[in-house]
Amino acid sequence: MSESRFATFTELLRARTAELADEDVHVFLRDTADGPVAEHLTYGELDREARRIAACLQSYGVAEQPVLLAYSSTVEFLKGFAGCLYAGAVAVPVPLPGEAGRDKRLNRTTAVLKDTGAAVVLTETDAAPEVALWLARNTRSTAECLVTDVSEIGDPEAWRPVAARGDDLVFLQYTSGSVSEPRGVTVSHRNLLANQASLKKLLHTTREDVFGSWLPYFHDMGLVAHLLHPVYLGSHSVQVTPLSFVKRPLRWLQAIDEYGVTVGGGPNFCYDLCVHRVKDEQIAALDLSRWRLALNGAEPVRAESLDAFAERFAPAGFRPEALRPCYGLAEATLVVSGGEPGTPYVRKEFDQAELERDRAEAAGTETRRRTLVGCGVPVDTDVRIVDPLTHHELPPGAVGEIWVRGYSVARGYWRRPTETVRTFLAAVNDEESNFLRTGDLGMMVDGELFVTGRLKEVIIINGRNVYPQDVEWAARTVSPALTFGAGAAFSVDAGREHLVLVQEVRGVADSTELRTVAQKIQALIGQEFEIPAGNILLVRPGAVRRTSSGKVQRTLMRKLFLDGVVRGEYEVLTPDVWALARAEDVLFGGDLLRPEGADGGRRW
Amino acid sequence: MTIPTGRHALAADTAKADGVYEWLSARLSLYLRRAPESIDPAVPLAEYGMDSVAALSLCGDLEEEFGLEVEPTLLWDFPTVSALVRHLTAVLPDVPADPAAARGQS
Repeated sequence: MSESRFATFTELLRARTAELADEDVHVFLRDTADGPVAEHLTYGELDREARRIAACLQSYGVAEQPVLLAYSSTVEFLKGFAGCLYAGAVAVPVPLPGEAGRDKRLNRTTAVLKDTGAAVVLTETDAAPEVALWLARNTRSTAECLVTDVSEIGDPEAWRPVAARGDDLVFLQYTSGSVSEPRGVTVSHRNLLANQASLKKLLHTTREDVFGSWLPYFHDMGLVAHLLHPVYLGSHSVQVTPLSFVKRPLRWLQAIDEYGVTVGGGPNFCYDLCVHRVKDEQIAALDLSRWRLALNGAEPVRAESLDAFAERFAPAGFRPEALRPCYGLAEATLVVSGGEPGTPYVRKEFDQAELERDRAEAAGTETRRRTLVGCGVPVDTDVRIVDPLTHHELPPGAVGEIWVRGYSVARGYWRRPTETVRTFLAAVNDEESNFLRTGDLGMMVDGELFVTGRLKEVIIINGRNVYPQDVEWAARTVSPALTFGAGAAFSVDAGREHLVLVQEVRGVADSTELRTVAQKIQALIGQEFEIPAGNILLVRPGAVRRTSSGKVQRTLMRKLFLDGVVRGEYEVLTPDVWALARAEDVLFGGDLLRPEGADGGRRW
Repeated sequence: MTIPTGRHALAADTAKADGVYEWLSARLSLYLRRAPESIDPAVPLAEYGMDSVAALSLCGDLEEEFGLEVEPTLLWDFPTVSALVRHLTAVLPDVPADPAAARGQS
């Protein structure tokens, strides 16, 4: 039973499918007009299907080559993923390309297809027309589309086992990197097995645990913790579709109740959705008492969200100590740190002014305070807090960049040697090498890791990583008045993370026209990036600061905005952000000059 | 059986539209995190920071409250409160039962 005897995840998978042939490995809850319908997959079926798909893949000569996986059903995805492993291919989970007509340059799946140069895309019957049309439109790609749920494809008896080694790649994770510059994290069998061992140690998981998720399979937390960890343990998982969860968060909680889920979670925002969208009488009908680990990671963890969730779902038997904030990232396969199961999570009140000076001091009675949630203790990894400029290690209680070293840390980014060296091969104090630079800021206090902010410019909203350059590029496409203007997208923290876009506009002075331009930008961002774009400032040419080489200074623009220095010819702000960046207007009576209407000027 | 005259039908439609409007503003106020009276019915919801999560949430509410199956693109096809109320009043079978109950928790 010990997992340490396996050199590759494929060996482990073969052993599990042999010993547990008749048991479920996965249950997919398909959305139908009559509600969710369960589709079961046993370990035995998974093995047979993987051999069939692998046999077919082998005829394409894909050993050690990337193969894209685009599915709507996680049952079909798992078969395809296992098929890639059996064929010795490198699995690349991607979202379905989406409806035709979407702007190709914004499309992440297209970006991944180009970056990997994959020759084969796996999909299922339901999604095949969409995938085939998308491939046909990508004239530069000659990739083949293989529909894996058609049983005539491949013969399980024709499959020839592949001798894989621990250092071979098992999959690429494209969760980091912008659409214009995608970066695929190269995860090896050794990385994956190491991180699975860390998850087991951290979460005290066993074969008795049942996993329940709504996360997409192409999300690192969805794939590694909710789909592959159960396989590692010989347990099983239940999957609600992401669309079904966002429409009705109750569906996830009902699955947790019905299937006796013990481990399941997602980014912070999913707990907020449950709090706001599930009604009292629905909570009364739920039993969440068996849910022992409600993981919270992949975006900043907020104490208010945890408190609100624990209080709201207490009547359903939910235990507050089940809330489990964690820290991790795709570059380290997934998990880096987490707290001890069964104990309450750690929270501390810090002096805000000291935090701004990069130091941790307990908040006094008279000071501005900021509550931070601890992300637990690093497991099997060497975590250091490092000065991002000098690369010198900082003492406990000091804020710096989080650097990580260990067997879970991936080798680098697919075909990007320069970024790989910069990100994965950093040296602390010019001595100890092979550290991963996470780009996150944090500190160690009493052995507990606290994440305080971000050095990299990525914006994380609704659990989604959005890159400023993608937003800036997209915004410029809505009107000719913006084509030659610079833009700066960044996020500010007003109770939660908000996107702000400062965009230069030329040749438009009329306020009605400016407002129309802003609304077009807002609709585009809200729909294409799936995050709220409540804060847009249209400014005069030259107002967006750039370096002498022309690089947009987003961090400086963010500071100028928060200081109230950046003002738009036209601007629209949400009430929370207005209170943050325009607070002085209230003191000086400036708000009296603001027009009424949709400008966010009113607070409540 | 009485056949409603034009005037009665109009009055009933107005009452229905009012009910839809009240229900909709309560839900939107929750998703957009602002007071219902600060949402101008003629202004595109994107201007208040409407995104796909909020749009899908509202689709879920419509399905749950009224049994109305809607496309996830509803809020982009009918981008303002006025447009949504007009559309929903036309397609909904009846006046929402109790706007206060529909407000839910926040």
